[in-house]
Amino acid sequence: MIGSIPLSDALLVSGALFSIGIAGALLRRNAIQIFLSIELMMNAANLALIGYGAALGTREGQIIVFFVIAIAAAEAAVGLAIFVALFRHSETIDVNKINLLKW
Amino acid sequence: MTAGRAIFDLAAAVAIVFSGLMVVGRNPVRSVLSLVVAFFGLATCFVLLLAPFIAALQVIVYAGAILVLFLFVLMLLNVGQEQPDRTGRPIQTVLGSAAVLVFAGLLLGMFRGSGAHVPTPADPISPSALGDPAALARLLYSDYLLHFEAVSVLLLAALVGAFVLARPEKVS
Repeated sequence: MIGSIPLSDALLVSGALFSIGIAGALLRRNAIQIFLSIELMMNAANLALIGYGAALGTREGQIIVFFVIAIAAAEAAVGLAIFVALFRHSETIDVNKINLLKW
Repeated sequence: MTAGRAIFDLAAAVAIVFSGLMVVGRNPVRSVLSLVVAFFGLATCFVLLLAPFIAALQVIVYAGAILVLFLFVLMLLNVGQEQPDRTGRPIQTVLGSAAVLVFAGLLLGMFRGSGAHVPTPADPISPSALGDPAALARLLYSDYLLHFEAVSVLLLAALVGAFVLARPEKVS
C-alpha cells in the first residue's frame, strides 16, 4: 500500500504548493504572511526532494530535507526577531508602509 | 486505485486547499492555523513517500515549534487584520498576479514532463528500509557529519542573532 505513489504526482503537488507560496509572497502585504508563504515554498521543495528520493531509492533526499528543516528553524527565529524589532521601531509590519531604504 | 493512492490524493488536496486559505485569508492568526493543517497533510504525503521519520520531524518541528513561534509573535505584536489596499496602485497587484500565473504555468509544465524520465538507480535501497531512522542517522553522522556541524553552528548564530535583534534598544 505504501510506496505506490508515482513521482509525477508528488512533483505536481509540489509545484502547486510552490505556486501558491509564491502568490502569497508577491501579493500579500503583511510581513508575517509573506514569511509563512516562504515557509510553504520550502515545504513544497521538501516534497519534491522526498518524491525524488523515493523514486530513486536513495536516502540523500531525506538527509537534505533534514537540513532544510533545521535551516528553516534558524530562519524563523531570526526573521521573527527582525519583525519584533521592526514593529517596535515603526508600529507596523505592513511592507508597503516600511520604506526606510527607499529613496 | 489502491488505498495508499487514495490517501495521498486526499492529503495532497488538504495541503493545497489549506495553503490556499492561508494565502487568501486576511486574519494572520487564521493563516497560521491553516498552514498547520496544510503541514499535517504534507506529513501524510511524506509517510506515503516512504519517509516516516521526516514526517514525524515535520509535525514536531514545523507544525509544533516553528508555527507556534509564529503564533506567539503574532499575538505579542497584536497586528490584527490587514486593511484593504487603498493606496491606488493596482498595477502591483496586476503585475504580481500575472507573474504568479506565468511562473505556475512554467513550473507545472516542467514538472509534468520530468516525472517520466527518472533514471533507474544502480543500487536502489528496498522501499521498506528507505525511511529507517537508524540508517538515516548512520548516514547523517558519517557522510554528512561536516554539514551537520555547520548546521549546529548556524543554529547557534541564529540564536545569538535573534537575541541581539529583539533586545530592547536601551538597556539600563
